[in-house]
Amino acid sequence: MPEIFIDGKRYEFEGKPKLLQFILDNGKEVPFFCYHPEMSAPANCRQCYVKVGTPVQNRETGEYELDENGERVIRWFPKMQTSCSMEMTDGMVVHTQETSEEVARAQKDTMELILINHPLDCPICDQAGECPLQIQTYKYGPEGSRFEVKKVHKPKRVELGPRVTLDAERCINCTRCVRFTEEISETYQLTIASRGDKNYPITAPGMEFDDPYSLNTVDICPVGALTSTDFRFKARVWEMNQTPSIDITGGKGTNVDLWTRDNLVLRLTPRYNENVNTHWMPDEARMAYTKFNENRISRPSIKADGDNQIKTSWNNAIETFAEKLEAVKPADVLVLGSAHASVEENYALMKTFSTWGVNDFYFSPDVKEGFGDDFLLTDDQAPNTKGVKALGFSETSAEDLKAAIKSAKVVVLLNDELVDRGVLDSEDLKKPYVISLATNETETSKSTDLVIPITCIAEHAASYVNVEGRIQRSLPAKETKYTHRKLDLEMSEGRLDRYGTNFDNWVNEDNKVDCTPTWELMNNLGKRLGLSIQFGTSREIMDEIASSNSSFEGVSYEKMDDENGIQLTGMNKEEVSA
Amino acid sequence: MANNYEFTPEDLKEIETIKAKFPEVMPATLPTLWVAQRRFGHVEPEVQHLVAETLDLPVSHVHGVATFYTQYYKEKMGKYVLDVCTTTSCQLCGGYDMLHYLENKLGIKAGETTKDGMFSIQSVECLGACGYAPMMQITNDVYVNNLTEEKLDDVIESLKADKMPEFESVGMPQHTERS
Ligand code: SF4
Ligand code: SF4
Ligand code: FES
Ligand code: FES
Repeated sequence: MPEIFIDGKRYEFEGKPKLLQFILDNGKEVPFFCYHPEMSAPANCRQCYVKVGTPVQNRETGEYELDENGERVIRWFPKMQTSCSMEMTDGMVVHTQETSEEVARAQKDTMELILINHPLDCPICDQAGECPLQIQTYKYGPEGSRFEVKKVHKPKRVELGPRVTLDAERCINCTRCVRFTEEISETYQLTIASRGDKNYPITAPGMEFDDPYSLNTVDICPVGALTSTDFRFKARVWEMNQTPSIDITGGKGTNVDLWTRDNLVLRLTPRYNENVNTHWMPDEARMAYTKFNENRISRPSIKADGDNQIKTSWNNAIETFAEKLEAVKPADVLVLGSAHASVEENYALMKTFSTWGVNDFYFSPDVKEGFGDDFLLTDDQAPNTKGVKALGFSETSAEDLKAAIKSAKVVVLLNDELVDRGVLDSEDLKKPYVISLATNETETSKSTDLVIPITCIAEHAASYVNVEGRIQRSLPAKETKYTHRKLDLEMSEGRLDRYGTNFDNWVNEDNKVDCTPTWELMNNLGKRLGLSIQFGTSREIMDEIASSNSSFEGVSYEKMDDENGIQLTGMNKEEVSA
Repeated sequence: MANNYEFTPEDLKEIETIKAKFPEVMPATLPTLWVAQRRFGHVEPEVQHLVAETLDLPVSHVHGVATFYTQYYKEKMGKYVLDVCTTTSCQLCGGYDMLHYLENKLGIKAGETTKDGMFSIQSVECLGACGYAPMMQITNDVYVNNLTEEKLDDVIESLKADKMPEFESVGMPQHTERS
């Protein structure tokens, strides 16, 4: 097998890997800016310099030439090489900054050049704290600058498009953003204009950077030049916690991170998953965080006189729920699951009601024909269509649903904005007694008789099955009135959470929503109705599902965590109807 | 973008010939921009859009190329663009004096265009004719060397009469020796 010697250590390799990627894959480091594993390597930042040589070979015999000590004679490349674009060959010898003063010096000088006109306004820069330029300057850069004259100034706030704002001074012209629009989203909306110390990325005159994937450029920009117009100046990176989760605005199951501060989700960024979304996410999905914070239903509410809802106690809500059920026969109750809710929530709902005597369970798929692209957007607008189906909920059309509601006496509706998305009219919900378990105040929740607040994906650990039949799970990111970061080991703690107290002026109790997970609600209802059901944590519920439903065989939270989601057997993309 | 510019059939034919020279269209961007600048006197945004459309390339690409090179005029310029060199050799030999003389004479500053649309002045970097400093170039074309105030007066006069100065051949020292 071909071999390579990096900093005196021998490695074997296959194929024709590029040096930088190989170094990174082997847990070593070389500083770099312009290289990105998913895009072409133009080698324009010159930061990834290493010293490279190849052994001298006898042309006839192919044997390596040896010196008097019996060591291979190495012919060094006359200049430093950019490791990102260097193809590895058999016998190659490489020195990084770790074993070569010369390389360390070259990297330092490159850095000095990059920083010549850099404003270094880290204190007001959104990137600070997660800035490769900042980090690498600390590690490999010069202590100061020898450049003493006035820096070149450029525009500080260019609205490239509806979602991306450019601070041109901070740009180091790595062209990652331009290459993204050329190679990944293929909208060709950006270019580098002008040249020398005046250049920066821009759209063509009269055009906007409205690429449906535009915000990815903010993530890959190695400096604070491209910023998210929405998130700009909202929070310092080190004040937030980062919690892995799943996008719920579509069927793709894009892996995301939720960034929270004081129990508000402030932004969503893509999380790498080579089987789903690699490094990217659609702009659409980024605004989902507002739903986790705003218009949340906190405390149950009940219709009192006419159409007015008033807040009520949890006891009264459960009591009313039970009384309404006890007043009718199971056959008169319509139970609607939801593709917008997790596997565990739908399962708990189904199990509770089937124990009580309901036989049929339905859900209304949420599909927008033609909405998807062949990248990360899907026609399916819900994160868990395959999951509800696999649990045994049957798809129902709008007409059938309306008819079923008409003939029911009580309707139980799991988080699904049926009125808002035009499946039902609020009039349709007038006749039966409608109980909705919901996260947000919507037209739908307003049209129902009893609203019980449940946790959203940002508050619970639960699983979702994407359009390709891959099951992936979320972790709780924000506290409810009844959970606590320090007690729930699945929750991450940021600096502010760890060292802050409830009396700090940045802490707002109102950010904690008064809601419970659906399965806990079902426990309380079951207890009141005298049913023999008892749900544990969502982790235990998943174990229960895995052992009772063959579609979910072998699924567990451990396995999902280890493997970044599990492809369910017997499910594939083609199978998705609707 | 609504476009007020259009290539003539001859231009289009020329562009086809240019395209035929390259295996891909991208390299045709530079010469096509020249065709456009010759036709319209500039390549302002609308013209860049026209070039992109004609070559079926992203406008962003054409914009990047047009802005990279200073010889392409990204806005309307005077009929004659006077590029006065102010880099080292010219500077030492009075480049700035020549520039300021022109500015006073035409009543505009470098970077501006006269009201009648006849002249624009630009202060530019070395044009590679340091041996004949100070010098200027007219509209990406003729060099006027060894500038003096009188010479500038003459040049302006002749340009006003729409006469480009002749290209002055300046012998290299080795040539002078030999002859
Ligand atoms: S881009 Fe990085 S180094 Fe530059 S100002 Fe922002 S945080 Fe500082
Ligand atoms: S804006 Fe950022 S990503 Fe784009 S070229 Fe500049 S530094 Fe690179
Ligand atoms: S990462 Fe290699 S040159 Fe930029
Ligand atoms: S310095 Fe003026 S032409 Fe070179």
